[in-house]
Amino acid sequence: MKLPRGRLQRQRVVEDLATPLSNALDADLTGYARLESQDALLLSADGVGVLTFDGGVPIVAYHTGTDVGGPAALADLAVAGPYRIELFELEADALATVHEAADLRVPPGMPAERLAGDPELADRTRAAAPERADRATKAAQDRDEPGAVEAFLDDEAKIAAIRERAREEAERRAAEWGLDEIASDETD
Amino acid sequence: MTPKHHRSMVEVFAVASGKGGTGKTTSTLALGMALADDYDVTVVDADTGMANLLFHADLADVETTLHDVLAGGTPVGDAVYERFGMRVVPCGTSLAGFRDADPARLREVVARLAADTDVILLDSAAALGSRAAVLPIVLADRVVVVLQPTIPSLSDGLKVQEYATTYDTGVAGTLFNRVRDDEAIDAIAEKAARYFEGPTLATVPESDAARAARRAGEPLLAYAPESPAADAFREAAAGIDVAAGDSGAVADRFRSAVVPEEP
Repeated sequence: MKLPRGRLQRQRVVEDLATPLSNALDADLTGYARLESQDALLLSADGVGVLTFDGGVPIVAYHTGTDVGGPAALADLAVAGPYRIELFELEADALATVHEAADLRVPPGMPAERLAGDPELADRTRAAAPERADRATKAAQDRDEPGAVEAFLDDEAKIAAIRERAREEAERRAAEWGLDEIASDETD
Repeated sequence: MTPKHHRSMVEVFAVASGKGGTGKTTSTLALGMALADDYDVTVVDADTGMANLLFHADLADVETTLHDVLAGGTPVGDAVYERFGMRVVPCGTSLAGFRDADPARLREVVARLAADTDVILLDSAAALGSRAAVLPIVLADRVVVVLQPTIPSLSDGLKVQEYATTYDTGVAGTLFNRVRDDEAIDAIAEKAARYFEGPTLATVPESDAARAARRAGEPLLAYAPESPAADAFREAAAGIDVAAGDSGAVADRFRSAVVPEEP
């Protein structure tokens, strides 16, 4: 399934996805976000995430690296930041086919909850989701897929990569900030 | 047996999450109040760049805060306030106060407080981006990791844990806070437990009472002690097995760790 490129609205590097999701909602964006992790260490850095919007509300999630769609794709999108994010505007017609793919759909509030950890934004997004919450979306909501968080926790390689990177960062900073002595002086 | 009468015990906990919005300050004060039933508890707002504990603990109007102590010349005792059965050391919110504060002095502050309390809780910064933000985790004996059942929060919580273990700081346990999806949480907590050290201390439901408490300027356990969230925090506190330490030795450890030395 190919998406036309569309018109680039915004492009930036962010630590936290709350801002772009909130921007898309406030701007009533119909189009898609292209998300690219800046972290070469993580496996899913091998692809990009795509999240489509209709009127600012997320509809479909897909990851090109893992070829996974729907809530499980959110786990692949939700690697640690920073992310390079680009928001593209498209005609609703250009998205129609993609939006019909039920297995790629995500409940409207789920990206805000799972990618940004922002329940208020999730509530705001759900409130904005128009009545076009058709059966596919509703079914996804009803199941309230715990898929994304559990899929993330099942991905041992990804978690190991996050931990490894944090450990290296902590060690590097200990040296930079003169914390080394303190850490080694501590005795139980 | 409560160690309350054994003045030689102290343990320092950093309450940390690595991410904002998890309810860390609410958690710190709730754990503090619950632990205060059995211990002398001192709570310190160690988030010197984004202090907010003062607004949760009826301390918004106080003159002297941790900022003054960290700027030098003000004794710690001047910034200690008796509130809600605890000693509370709030931090100011001004940019000037943050600029003038020397984070390295936090070690000496902890050392002085350690001589006279059983449990110290350090409310830590929401990110790990600066020396000041990481220091509480370095100084603590153990961290309590506050999580939400979301991918960003779990990811950042893992990061906090790696920082802690890198700095020889233990993990007292994890606390799932602001939980909205009751059905999913059990499976998520069980899977998360494979990666986190220490027990899952409790699952605290998202609560209007916590927001109302914040507006009222009171800790949750004072404002809504009968709420389900308050119950969950008491359960979490009960799950923290406070270790005995020798307060003299702990105080010495923190003092010897003071880098740079004050003139």
